[in-house]
Amino acid sequence: MLLFQSEAWIDKWCKRNNTQHGEVLTIQQVWELSKLWYGDRLSLDYHGRSLEQAEEIFMQAGLRSKFWYIQK
Amino acid sequence: MTLDHTLLWQIRHFVYNHFADTTHAPSVDETAQHFNISTEEAGEYYKELHNRHAFFLDLETLTVRMANPFSGIPTDFKVLANGKTYYANCAWDMLGIPAALHTDAAIEAVCTESNEMARLEIKNGSIAQDGISPRRGTAAEDGDGSSLLVHFPLPFARWYDDLVFT
Repeated sequence: MLLFQSEAWIDKWCKRNNTQHGEVLTIQQVWELSKLWYGDRLSLDYHGRSLEQAEEIFMQAGLRSKFWYIQK
Repeated sequence: MTLDHTLLWQIRHFVYNHFADTTHAPSVDETAQHFNISTEEAGEYYKELHNRHAFFLDLETLTVRMANPFSGIPTDFKVLANGKTYYANCAWDMLGIPAALHTDAAIEAVCTESNEMARLEIKNGSIAQDGISPRRGTAAEDGDGSSLLVHFPLPFARWYDDLVFT
């Protein structure tokens, strides 16, 4: 995941790399996601997480688009 | 070789906390010594944790390349926290380091394409400041807050297809 100054720079990068435009989050959204995703990473009890648990975190972080969910 | 489930997760915990304490991963030898097991055994546990996506190895050397959010090599995403300098794997992980450490941090990262240096400050669990560093002769843009963006190129369903690219 790369950092950009604006959507215009993302469009330029996607075009130059012949890459599809993905999902764009603000730095604030990524911070909220990070706290949920990484907050327990140093714990002995952290053994990874299931797809369902990952999707629950995306839901809690307010990420609702199809991009974040595996189609069943 | 039969792997002990409890030891497997103790080794994961040791690797992560070694990263947090020292900014780098322990070698297979260091891990073997810590747990009083052979280097070969420690290597098997490392490979199993790699296969389970607990961290990611350079399989030729068995060195830890990524233990997200920590990077085993210098990157464009530098995080200063607790008096240490960490490197993150990506723009998400640069925020993941203070989140994992539960600490304040100063982050310096290069913006893709524009090559500008972005600086962020995490304080008391919030983003206290973010923006682009002023270049000589230009006005400071610190605190503009909303401009920095993170691009996730691949949908969640494909994250483990090509990890380094993601």
